[in-house]
Amino acid sequence: MTSDPRLAGAARWCRRLLRCYPADFRQEFGDSLVETSVDRARVALQRGGAWPVARFYLQATVSAIVGGASERLRPAAAWRSRGWSRDAALATRRLARTPGFLAAVVGTLTVGLGAFAVVFTVVQQVLVAPLPYRDARDLYFVWRDYGPMLDLNRGWLAGTDVAALQSSAGVIESATVLGRQRVIFATGEGTAPAEIAVISTTPNLFEVLGVTPMLGRGFAPHEVGPARPPVVVVSHAFWQRLGADPHLVGAQVRLDGEPFTVIGVLPPTFAFVRHASLGPPQAAEAYVPFDLELGATSPTGGAYAGLIRAKAGTTPQQVAAAIDVIGRDIDARHFKSRGLRLYPVSLKADLVAPVRSALVVLAAAGVFLLLVLTVNLASALLARSAQREHELAVSRALGADGAAIARATILEGGLLGVLGGVAGVLVAVWGTRTLVALAPLDLPRRDAIAVDAYVAVVVIGLATLLGLLAGVAPATWAARAPLSRLLAGSAVRGGGGHGRLRRSMVVAQVALSLVLLTAGGLVVRSFERLLRADPGFAADNVLTMRVPMPSLLVPDGPGVLALQQRISDALTALPGVVAVSATETLPMTALMNQTTLAIPGAPGNTGNRERDRPLVDYTGIRAGYVQTMGLRLRAGRDLSPSRPAGVREALVDHTLAEHFFPNSSPLGASIPFGRDQSVTIVGVVQQPRLYDLHRDGRPQLYVRAEDFEMRTMYFVVRTSRAPATLAPEVRAAVRTIDPRLALADVRTMQEIVAGARRQQRLSAVLVAGFALAALLLASLGLFSVVSGSVTRRRQEFAVRLAIGAQPGSVLRLALIDGLRLVAIGVCLAVPGVVGAGELVRHTLVGVSPHDPVTLAWVVGGLVAVTLLACYLPARRVLRIDAAQSLRQG
Amino acid sequence: MATDKARDGRLRPVEFHILLSLSAAERHGYGIIRDIESLDAASVPDVGTMYRALARLVEQGLIEASARRPAPDVDDERRNYYRITTAGRKVARVEAVRLEALTAAARSGGLLPRGAR
Repeated sequence: MTSDPRLAGAARWCRRLLRCYPADFRQEFGDSLVETSVDRARVALQRGGAWPVARFYLQATVSAIVGGASERLRPAAAWRSRGWSRDAALATRRLARTPGFLAAVVGTLTVGLGAFAVVFTVVQQVLVAPLPYRDARDLYFVWRDYGPMLDLNRGWLAGTDVAALQSSAGVIESATVLGRQRVIFATGEGTAPAEIAVISTTPNLFEVLGVTPMLGRGFAPHEVGPARPPVVVVSHAFWQRLGADPHLVGAQVRLDGEPFTVIGVLPPTFAFVRHASLGPPQAAEAYVPFDLELGATSPTGGAYAGLIRAKAGTTPQQVAAAIDVIGRDIDARHFKSRGLRLYPVSLKADLVAPVRSALVVLAAAGVFLLLVLTVNLASALLARSAQREHELAVSRALGADGAAIARATILEGGLLGVLGGVAGVLVAVWGTRTLVALAPLDLPRRDAIAVDAYVAVVVIGLATLLGLLAGVAPATWAARAPLSRLLAGSAVRGGGGHGRLRRSMVVAQVALSLVLLTAGGLVVRSFERLLRADPGFAADNVLTMRVPMPSLLVPDGPGVLALQQRISDALTALPGVVAVSATETLPMTALMNQTTLAIPGAPGNTGNRERDRPLVDYTGIRAGYVQTMGLRLRAGRDLSPSRPAGVREALVDHTLAEHFFPNSSPLGASIPFGRDQSVTIVGVVQQPRLYDLHRDGRPQLYVRAEDFEMRTMYFVVRTSRAPATLAPEVRAAVRTIDPRLALADVRTMQEIVAGARRQQRLSAVLVAGFALAALLLASLGLFSVVSGSVTRRRQEFAVRLAIGAQPGSVLRLALIDGLRLVAIGVCLAVPGVVGAGELVRHTLVGVSPHDPVTLAWVVGGLVAVTLLACYLPARRVLRIDAAQSLRQG
Repeated sequence: MATDKARDGRLRPVEFHILLSLSAAERHGYGIIRDIESLDAASVPDVGTMYRALARLVEQGLIEASARRPAPDVDDERRNYYRITTAGRKVARVEAVRLEALTAAARSGGLLPRGAR
């Protein structure tokens, strides 16, 4: 021992200096370092003199400070991080050595995670993220539910309703009214006109939403009512379309020919839609103040959307209760307490409602795909550890600890996850653009959807987690399997012990993919139903266009009729045009007007007031509509080509006919319509659908547009050539008649129908794509399991063949192995299949969520594909040369 | 890691000295220092530097700790001994071959007298 006190002092000093080093270094080498230093000190002391001793202390101190600092800074000191970083380096190198495996796994993950990221982006930004308004949670649309009075539970408010909301104290902070109309916009006299949508509103709209104009100002509180100044605020997008001139603020523009002053431009981030009671939400290019006295409007008719802001911190229940009280008061005052209700719907819920169930299905499908991916990755890693079985066995025999092997496998999984996640996000950036392009145009905030940093972080994080998780199963297997079994197993080609784990993974994959396939099958079948649905009109070869006729352009009724006739004649004269007509509302656009209708003396009347005055959709048409739109006449005829004197002709759809004339012909019956007028039924058509392609809506009534001097019409042209190619000639023809006419919405009926199918098509493509991807992954898993089992049992099969087994029966043995897994998977999937049906229920059209035909197809398809996946590797047993195999064995 | 060192063959002088010293016999820390001193006094590392090198070599699997036992050269006090591994020996040999080649080059280039030992 160190008896010399000077040596003891040196030892103490060195021990103190040890603190410079990191704790783990100290722990490993501290004692030895001190001992060796003392050894050196002893030599220095033996040499005698002050200088060697001083040099010893100096050197020890400097070395400890410099060495300690650099030891602390040294990155990735393996024993310091308890082996993780060395394992990471190992895992990286091992992966780099097998580029095929790496590419296959990362490729799978990229596609899967990319798909997931796209879905996650859309779901997150549409369903989860708040709307871009100040305290968006406090914003509500308010609707009318007419209860027993009318089949209308989502009706507009009357102006008086909004006035009542505004004047109510309590939880409602402010209320605003939204009307929308289309106007002809021109920057000056004689410039090219364009039709735009304008929202008329109370001056507080922008305060309610919490937005301030980017240029200029919003409306002043007094700028409302009949005497409001003609001022307009334009959207950023529209301002840019006009050339993004900052001097637009203060400039005069014309709305329907009337001069307006632009007072503000909204910021680019601001987007707002007035939600329609029926049909898609409506955006607008410009905002003008409301020009009526709210309290002076008719209290019974609904015409406006109501938007309120509740006081901060108010619960939806409190808002609903407050609105309900106001509704009861209105019911009592204007509806004799027949059951009118007012109710609020949160702005967000209202806007996403049409896409919500489809997105929920997509999200669920995405999560399932992610599960399948995890299992797939786990089984790929397991197969890989199985290949390395021999290597593992040897390292374990030489004393490598199980934990180190487990760490390496888990890290490999994590690394693959990260790579797949990053690649997936890149794919998603592109994929999201595609999805958004395919998505319904009214998908809320469609333009804002993009992969952002948040989504990227979540997806990469999830992918890493998925990879680590997938690494756990093979890691536990590799670390736990008894050494003896590893060594014994590694002697056999194809490995052994992991069999059960891999099999359960295949079972899981089969079960998961069956669930996805069920959802996919149902959605696809529903889409197919939609494709085959008969909408009641022939969409092919029809071009449609809107021709607005503002009163400033054509002041009087007869002028309108003459102009419409001239347009009709000009269109008829175009080459390739078969028939021309016009309508106020196109099919599938949900934009017809509604009215209640009674036919006194009709045989279908029951005496029940509500039943005998149904709410119907009505619109005006010109003669020839039946032929041009391809409607099917069930009885009677189309409107006569020229207006007959003394009679107003009308068509009804079959549902209206059946309502009032269940057993007799409605032809010739007279319907009171409008103010002291009536129309006479001359024909009955199969309902041309207005809302859904696959089912009838409200009863419909078609009157002659000329009889009611309807101004703005959609002209429809049936052609003998591709309708879209006719558009330029149509424009030219209309311009020749009057250059001030602004043609809008030039579309083919096919486009309108495709738009109605868009969301279904998107769901069908995505969910089916996910399902097929899952099926492919499951099949690959099955293939490799059966293939491995055939390799392993080669000897056994050879013996069987040698002692006279038929090749067919041996093949069956090999097949049964895989099919058993499929059978178990199918059984386990049953609850999932039922759940999947329930989940997609709301997105289905004309298909039961537990449609037996679809289920049979799906299970049959799954079995067929998996059978093939088993058969391909199992076929190898037929090529076994028994004698040779046995000799080799 | 061991294969890495063997492949790029780059060892720090102090690491090479340690391997060189341990290739002859198992030694404790001070033993290594003395060995280096006897061979090449100019490149004797200070104790801290040497232990940091030892740590790296252990980590790379080139040397390993052997038993703690009495050291006759320091009054039989107990010391930690280290020994070279097969990988370490291989790496050291690669380095030696490299140095030999350099020496041969120096000789044929006239930096060293020909035939001298």
